[in-house]
Amino acid sequence: MRIGEIVETGSAGFVAESFELNRPPELGSLVKVETEEGSCVYGVVSYGTTTGLDPGRRAVRRSSEGVYDAAIYREHPQLEQVLRTEFSVVLVGWAADGSIRQHLPPQPPPLHYSVHTCTPLEVRAFSERLLYLRLLLAVSGQLPPEQLLAAHLRQLYQARGRDRAWLERAAREVAGLLKQDVERLLVVLQGIDPGQGT
Amino acid sequence: MPLQLEVLSRGVERLAAQASDGAGQQLLEEAQRRLRRVDVEALCTRLRIRDPRFPWLTAVPTDDTMGAAYSVPLPSPPFSVVATDGSNIPPDRHNPVRFYVLNVGRATLTYGSRPDARLKATTHLACEEEELYLNPGREHIPVDGERLGIKMAVAELEALFEAAQEAQPPVLALLDGSLILWGLQSEERSVQAAFLQEYLSALGRFREVDIPLASYISYPGGQDVANSLRVSLCQGHSAQCESCTLPPSEQELCKFLGTVRDREIFSGLLEAGQRSDIFESTSAILDRYGEHRIQFFYLNNGDEILRLEAPQWVMRDGGKRDMVHGLVLDQCKRSGGYPAYPPVLQEAHEQAVISSAERRLVEEMVAQALAARGIVYIHSAKESSKRRRGV
Repeated sequence: MRIGEIVETGSAGFVAESFELNRPPELGSLVKVETEEGSCVYGVVSYGTTTGLDPGRRAVRRSSEGVYDAAIYREHPQLEQVLRTEFSVVLVGWAADGSIRQHLPPQPPPLHYSVHTCTPLEVRAFSERLLYLRLLLAVSGQLPPEQLLAAHLRQLYQARGRDRAWLERAAREVAGLLKQDVERLLVVLQGIDPGQGT
Repeated sequence: MPLQLEVLSRGVERLAAQASDGAGQQLLEEAQRRLRRVDVEALCTRLRIRDPRFPWLTAVPTDDTMGAAYSVPLPSPPFSVVATDGSNIPPDRHNPVRFYVLNVGRATLTYGSRPDARLKATTHLACEEEELYLNPGREHIPVDGERLGIKMAVAELEALFEAAQEAQPPVLALLDGSLILWGLQSEERSVQAAFLQEYLSALGRFREVDIPLASYISYPGGQDVANSLRVSLCQGHSAQCESCTLPPSEQELCKFLGTVRDREIFSGLLEAGQRSDIFESTSAILDRYGEHRIQFFYLNNGDEILRLEAPQWVMRDGGKRDMVHGLVLDQCKRSGGYPAYPPVLQEAHEQAVISSAERRLVEEMVAQALAARGIVYIHSAKESSKRRRGV
């Protein structure tokens, strides 16, 4: 399903404008961009935001006694046109000729191309190997990388139908990657603990 | 660059001292009392004969009172408001080719169970002789400055009509600024006639389809009503103020009325949401407006006193007048800031604005197109010096 269009692109990731206002794809979810026949790049949603279309225009308070939340958009119909929701995506792999690679693709995805959600089958296929998790930990974006990693693992756990065995495998992989930094490791482990309502 | 800040600082102190002068408040209250008590019929008679003793712009009352205040219930949706605004890149005498750009922004907002918003801008580059000059070949009057402003006003009005027709009724059409083409007063008759014909014809279209239109003036600087109050005070038979026979307190009030703005007088008379009586402006150009003669009222939107103008066929019709009053208040309620300003006007303006980056882009596009045809774009020496600023 098409959920957005790329408005900024680069070798490590891209920014897309969401088709639905105030609903970027879920943090940590796996998305893809179909670049040409049979090829695509994969990425993880690393940030979402909603701001004025024009960088010079900041949002102002619009609620009143009887009008707040969803009603604000009904009472100010121009908002749908002067606001936009954007999301950032970190590239974690690509696929061509039927094989999936988990390193940065040779080309950034083209500007204005569509961003798609991944089907459960695609999620399963991509996350069989976990080499790409180190790419997420190396991200320097708007969130601490361990928070992003935890969000991503939660997303995949659900998308894989609460695959407990996979989650444990992922936890062991993360422990290996963060063995020198117990604090950060704990952030991830606590964030993906199914007992915490993951 | 070398501005003398210490001189300015002393001047600013004097300015602030003058502004906070307490005596003005008492005179203001006296002026408000007088406004409520004016003998309107007698005043109208004096104003309508346009006594040359009074060279001030005055407001002629159209009601029996001048100091009354009126409320209106807020309208219930559904309804639409539409607005247009224009921006331009004027002709540049430093450019080897003459052209101007008009950008008209429009906004249509519909409220109710099916809310909707349509925002768009329409750009036009004028480079034909008929667009660049009035009476080309004969008087060859360039369209720039004030004349370009009026050309833009006509374009805004025409776009406003298009938008109003497409909107879901009932519709109010709104503009920012005045409907009185002040800029035309200093032009020759032929220029006035040419512009007025287009402008009034556009106003006529609104009347034909029965869509009210009005213009919104924030922080109005008008003194017409204050001037009319001055006329009502004046007892003199001579033309000289030096030989005034009024007692000193009256003379002081008269002098005060010569400096005070209408918005200051009405801010003590109108509660939030209330409008004033309706007045007719006596600006000379309005004599040529015919059935579209402009009338106005002041309105307290809760944050400031604003002036709303409309053709008399809107103001004289109770339903249309109340729609202007009510929908403008509704818009101000939906404003996202202080002081309140109608979102429909704000969005029309945002669509119209041409940023400095866009202006440079247009200049580059023209320069490139000319260069492709072998015409090199040479700035005037002054222009080049301003850009270079060499030492």
